[in-house]
Amino acid sequence: MLFTIITILSALGLFAGLSFRRFWTTREEARSTILYAEIFKKYLAWLALRTVQISRKTSPKAWWEYVKALPLWRLPVLEKWLSICFYGSFLYLAASGFFFAMFIPRGLYGYPLVGHVMAGGLFAACLTVIVIFKGRNFISIPKPASLSLTLLDPRRMGITAARVKIAAFWLFVAAGFLLTLSALLPMLPLLRTPGQKFMFEFHRYSALVSALSATAFVTLEAFGMRRP
Amino acid sequence: MSRAGRSVLPFLSLALAAVLTFAANGLAQSAAKDSKKAVWDGDRTIPAHLIPLRDENDELIVPTETNPLPYSARFTCGPCHDYGTVRSGWHFGAMTAAKNGRPGEPWLQFDPKTGTILPLSYRKWPGSYDPKAVGLTAWDFTLLFGRHMPGGGPAEPSDEEVLAHPEARWTVSGKAEVNCLACHNKSGRQDPSEWAKQVLRENLRWAATAAGGVGEVGGMASRLKETWDIYDGPNLDDHEWAVVPSVKYRTVDFDSKHRYFFDLDYKPADGRCLACHSVSPKDEARWSTDADVHSTAGLKCADCHRNDLGHGMVRGYEGEAAETGNRTAASFTCRGCHLGESAAGEKSVVPGRLGAPYPKHTGIPLVHFKRLSCTACHSGPRPKDGFTRVRTSRANRLGIYGVATWATDLPQVIEPVYAKDERHRISPHRLVWPAFWAKFEGKDVTPLKPAVVEAAAGDILGPEARIARILVALNQVLAEDEVPVLISGNFVFAPNVDGGIDAAERPGAKADTAPFWGIRKGGDVLPLVPDFDPAAADKDPAVETRIQEFLQALGTIVGTPGPPVIVVRKTLYRIVDGYLDISEAPAELAEVSGTGWLTEGKFLPLASDFDLRTVTAKAGTEQTLTEEQVALVLGALSKTSEETDFVYVSGGRMFRLTAGGKLDSGKHAAAEPVTWPLAHDVRPAQQSLGWNGCTDCHSVGSDFFFTKLKGAGPLLTDKVEKRSASSFMGLGGLFQRFFGLSFIVRPVFKVVLGVCAVVVASLVFLAGLLFLGRLAGFLEKR
Repeated sequence: MLFTIITILSALGLFAGLSFRRFWTTREEARSTILYAEIFKKYLAWLALRTVQISRKTSPKAWWEYVKALPLWRLPVLEKWLSICFYGSFLYLAASGFFFAMFIPRGLYGYPLVGHVMAGGLFAACLTVIVIFKGRNFISIPKPASLSLTLLDPRRMGITAARVKIAAFWLFVAAGFLLTLSALLPMLPLLRTPGQKFMFEFHRYSALVSALSATAFVTLEAFGMRRP
Repeated sequence: MSRAGRSVLPFLSLALAAVLTFAANGLAQSAAKDSKKAVWDGDRTIPAHLIPLRDENDELIVPTETNPLPYSARFTCGPCHDYGTVRSGWHFGAMTAAKNGRPGEPWLQFDPKTGTILPLSYRKWPGSYDPKAVGLTAWDFTLLFGRHMPGGGPAEPSDEEVLAHPEARWTVSGKAEVNCLACHNKSGRQDPSEWAKQVLRENLRWAATAAGGVGEVGGMASRLKETWDIYDGPNLDDHEWAVVPSVKYRTVDFDSKHRYFFDLDYKPADGRCLACHSVSPKDEARWSTDADVHSTAGLKCADCHRNDLGHGMVRGYEGEAAETGNRTAASFTCRGCHLGESAAGEKSVVPGRLGAPYPKHTGIPLVHFKRLSCTACHSGPRPKDGFTRVRTSRANRLGIYGVATWATDLPQVIEPVYAKDERHRISPHRLVWPAFWAKFEGKDVTPLKPAVVEAAAGDILGPEARIARILVALNQVLAEDEVPVLISGNFVFAPNVDGGIDAAERPGAKADTAPFWGIRKGGDVLPLVPDFDPAAADKDPAVETRIQEFLQALGTIVGTPGPPVIVVRKTLYRIVDGYLDISEAPAELAEVSGTGWLTEGKFLPLASDFDLRTVTAKAGTEQTLTEEQVALVLGALSKTSEETDFVYVSGGRMFRLTAGGKLDSGKHAAAEPVTWPLAHDVRPAQQSLGWNGCTDCHSVGSDFFFTKLKGAGPLLTDKVEKRSASSFMGLGGLFQRFFGLSFIVRPVFKVVLGVCAVVVASLVFLAGLLFLGRLAGFLEKR
């Protein structure tokens, strides 16, 4: 129950943060006032408008067109299949894991569990390959920091979308490692019952971090290129 | 209110107050009196029980008096241990209990002749029939199962029950009161076999005295007339057969004040419990069987299965504490004692009672603790090479010793059958397939009493008895080294000491060998009547003497089709007026020879084709009925009530006659096996499932999931229910095979995950170092 609440709250928080960022960076009316209440009202109005607009545009055909237009299909063969396996396994892991954790009291079981375990292995292998061959693209190059009070000022920390994306990537990788570890350790004759219980919860929260960081990364990636 | 009313009110109030005060005082006194009996003063010793014996009239027993009555627990033990409180306990209160508790082993009414294995219980347990609903009175129940009952309950019925069934013989036998000694007697004289014999002799009020070794009991109430009463005293007319039960007390155990010394245990010894609760693998040698790990560690049954004066035993299952209100019970479950957890999984129980170790359960995934009971991995035989057939004290009449063999192989009890218990956890169960004849009306199946079936069936159920009677009769006139036998098919049938027949296989013999009556002498089988020429002048006179003996012996059998005759070469031998009559066989018998019965001028063989076919088919098997017999009996039953549909249940299927008179079988809920959870014997940790890894259960051919169970019953048939072990668990067999298959690649999977984890962790670590190095300016100058 606690996990469900935390999952819902953190998903809502991430959605609010990402959508507000998009509102703030793309809408002129966002900066037309300095009153927080007014900004919030405008944000809500924009959010409602966008929801209606998107829902009108949404259809299976539109989704299919969107999927077909993804750059994934134009990648070289190895990279393409790596991406298909990686995204596919992650989507199945997240869908099965969160659905059963939140809505099925018994938790994951049966064929979905077998699929989850198999997809987990595929995901771990793909993640490793991606980190080896793509990780270099996400190395941050910060300037050497100087000791001053500006370090504590968020506006001067240099938090940009690109840096958040990089942070999201490495957070995702770290969560992926913890997911792998928390899946592996209970299978080994090492942990007693309290350890097993801890690893079970640890796996769930690692999955939550992984899903949130992936969402942040994908959102920033998808909307970062289309600024007006 | 009127003035008169107002004036009366104070008096009424006073009267009410007086009544309430009196009632409260009475209750308080009663409670004080009861509590005096129930409350422990703190002393941990057992007081010497040198006490006066009292009979059922609350009179002091003087052992040297003429015809003393048996002692009564109600009046001997009752003064210090409230009898009414004791008799409401688990072992005695099934008929009146408000709560049924977790299902336990039902009483199994086993009647081999009619092929009946009927689960019975006064508690409303799934699959068990209420004895009252199948027409069994408390008297019937006591005679059937009193052998393994500790008195009380149905053996000590209420006066209403006694009056309601005047055909019962309670006035002759008396009631079997709660037998305190059955559990608490420390003396080696306590004899469960003696108890069983006394119960079967209907010596109910004498049984405790005899079984406890307090006195020697002679006579049999079962042979007395129903009008006999204990105050009638001895039967002066009969000192051999209808002898009145009497007690001869062991005077050496009495002191000069007529007080008897009881050597008692506060906590009953394990042997007392096991007299009725033994469970052992069939066909296993005693020396190779292990005891429960708790017993081996020095615990007694009663260390965990405790009770107060109310004898509400702690049974030790999860949920018992909430069900019974006995909070202590929570600490005597597996989880309570070893983990300190309540049934809800809360750490609310003090663990480690009696030194229970805390289990490590290293590497066992959590789901096992949610979906399995502790006993699934730790109790019963390992599910290796299929299910284990066991025999239980109560089902198979174990532990009763005497000249006759009491123990039976049937009913077939199987374990461990893993099924979901009432808490929806998979736990090991014992299983028995019911078998009974029944009325089938609408959806209701009402079992018939064996006596009803037997009456309707007539001769159909008696082939063995008929052949046995012939062999036993012939045996009377043979020499000591000779045994009469019947050879049929590839079996030899010979009489046994119980008056029945034993079948022995003849290695190499053909199954279609013609029936042959003979005499076994040493290793040879000779013909019953040797081939000789009756007309020959030099014939052996001893042959005709033997023929006469055979005919005389066969003539003693009751219920034969006609007088016995022997035909040899057209010569007819028979007994006429006690003498051997030798005459020429009439024309109708010209073609026959051998021993048989003469019926209306026709020669009938000693045993009919039906009898021979039936006994030969069942020889070497445990089954007691053939399909032919079942069809015939169903036909006979339908003649008793044409509008009623009759069925027979065996091996998990229900058999009924089609409109064409053929035997048809199908599934029905009434034919489903009856299961009850088992808890003992608990195996040592190293023998628990999972000790050798996941593949103890999760493999393609796992015995745990895929052992096949075939329905079994008294009917010899191929039409039996076949079930996979996983079907009892409510799990899909296909999924479990698939899941088991995954454990073949699991070691590789673990290696892949391990390598991935190490590589990813290294790269994340390196990236982190790089980030820190640049942030700190260490790498900028490179």
